[in-house]
Amino acid sequence: MEITGMTAATMSNTEVPVSSLDERIKFFQNEPQSALATQEYFVNMGPQHPSTHGVLRLVLKMDGETVREIIPVLGYVHRGMEKKAEYIGYRQQVHLTDRLDYLCALMNNWVMADAVERAMKIELNDRILTLRTIFAELQRIQSHQLWWGVFGMDLGAFTPFLYGFRDREKITAIFEDTMGARLTMNYIQPGGLMYDIHPEFPRKVKDFLKYFKPILNEYDELFTGNVIVHQRLKGIGILDGKTAISVGASGPVLRASGVSYDLRKSDPYGVYSKTQFEVPVGTTGDCWDRYIVRMQEMRESIRIVEQLIDNIPEGPTMVMKFGAKIRIPEGIYYNQMETARGILGVMLVADGTEKPYRLHFRTPNFNNLWSVISMAKGLRLADLVAILSSVDIVVPDIDR
Amino acid sequence: MHVFFRGLLSLFKGMKITWYYLVHPSTVVTQQYPENRATLKLADRVRAQLAFNYDENGFHKCTSCHICEEACPNASIHVIDRPKPAIAKNELDHFIWRLDSCTFCNLCVLVCPFQVLKMNPTFESSVFDQRLLVYNLTTYAGATGPVLMKQPDAEARNKLIEPRSVYDGPTALEGYHLAGIPPGLYEPTSTTGVPK
Repeated sequence: MEITGMTAATMSNTEVPVSSLDERIKFFQNEPQSALATQEYFVNMGPQHPSTHGVLRLVLKMDGETVREIIPVLGYVHRGMEKKAEYIGYRQQVHLTDRLDYLCALMNNWVMADAVERAMKIELNDRILTLRTIFAELQRIQSHQLWWGVFGMDLGAFTPFLYGFRDREKITAIFEDTMGARLTMNYIQPGGLMYDIHPEFPRKVKDFLKYFKPILNEYDELFTGNVIVHQRLKGIGILDGKTAISVGASGPVLRASGVSYDLRKSDPYGVYSKTQFEVPVGTTGDCWDRYIVRMQEMRESIRIVEQLIDNIPEGPTMVMKFGAKIRIPEGIYYNQMETARGILGVMLVADGTEKPYRLHFRTPNFNNLWSVISMAKGLRLADLVAILSSVDIVVPDIDR
Repeated sequence: MHVFFRGLLSLFKGMKITWYYLVHPSTVVTQQYPENRATLKLADRVRAQLAFNYDENGFHKCTSCHICEEACPNASIHVIDRPKPAIAKNELDHFIWRLDSCTFCNLCVLVCPFQVLKMNPTFESSVFDQRLLVYNLTTYAGATGPVLMKQPDAEARNKLIEPRSVYDGPTALEGYHLAGIPPGLYEPTSTTGVPK
């Protein structure tokens, strides 16, 4: 961390001698030092700080250890994805959405594919929708596993990181079998899925769920019950529901603040309406609530997958011709879904050609980042690290 | 005071799990990668290297229709055809694939109407120089396999085709070797079109 603030000596009107080093040392030694006078200073947190999870830069106005103000500086991984969409087609744009929030690549694919399907008025069969839902929920578990591990590491515990990654590896292996990729799958395509599932997919998923259920209790024993975790999280970074709504926060951040809003329940897509699950909601909206909400979401995702995995309907996995270009009729289309971090929306302005006239993503992390500002004011710098991690920021999603 | 002991108990509970894994070597999941090369098996669908499908005679089915080039999101594929003197249609001369910019989105494989392309799970593609990552995937310039098989014998077929190597054509190397890299290291293996 680099300190850009000015010392008391440089602020005063007396000129600092520049002639020789000895003179300067003498000058600073003679400078009267007041023990009580404090001064606010600026600190750059990031863009290479390990707990900002990427290249997020926060300029902090500090008073000693206390954070007075936070100014996020964005643009370090800006790739012009929305502008690029105007030059590449709809089909090609799907593979770029992998790189928005790379931990929810499949859900991002789904949002884009679904927007195109709605515009083209393509009816999908139950097999495609069921498989998409299963994959989205597996991805949600996978994303929360990684979050759990990194959360522990940000709080100073290295062990959860290894445990989280160990179990995440099992899901990525399942993905690799079916999709041929582990992180940027590009699997959910407009009109269906890229391939049919691997023949062993249902068995492997069942094995994983059987393995992972007791592991979640182990997570609780290892980390949730830990007294240091309680001290670091309870009452830290309180976000009330009103502020959360006003900054447009979504996902676990919003639900931890006591607002029960989940698109899977309130505006069901896929086959979520056929499944039974609860939406975990917090009460105070502190870091602890966000932690508990995410842990609970993993259990609910397991429930959803368990209900669906045994009866995957038969049918084709691609209902439209797989051409290089897709042409969608003129109009403005908006589609949104619940990813692991919140609501991802895509707005398409189509002009009837094979390329969009304008494309815009409403990404969850961008809005969640602004909730950090109201959360962290007046807290310590170490608490800001816990808050950032509890919000689960993914920077490529903010910059896109 | 009891808060202190409850906290202490929670710490020991966590330590219990850590110790359990320490004394149970069967729970180790670490893979010793370079040593386990012989037993390491990746999934069949893993996308790591683009390659041509060749039939048993070593011919492909690419008609140089440029659909893969059109589908490629970031222009990693460059299909170069040559005019065929006898028939009006063109035939494939070079198939340039840039591994350095490829995102392995698999669209080229899926849109190909003749199933010419495939993705191989061979992931060890590191080289000494970035320029070596621009490949020519076809082993010969000429017509497709079905057309060539109509010829009466092998001699007539060989007259119609020209051999191509991995770094032929408008690749960064243009068939030359780089200084400092021993020649022969990147000679094409004739059957797969992928450097050894």
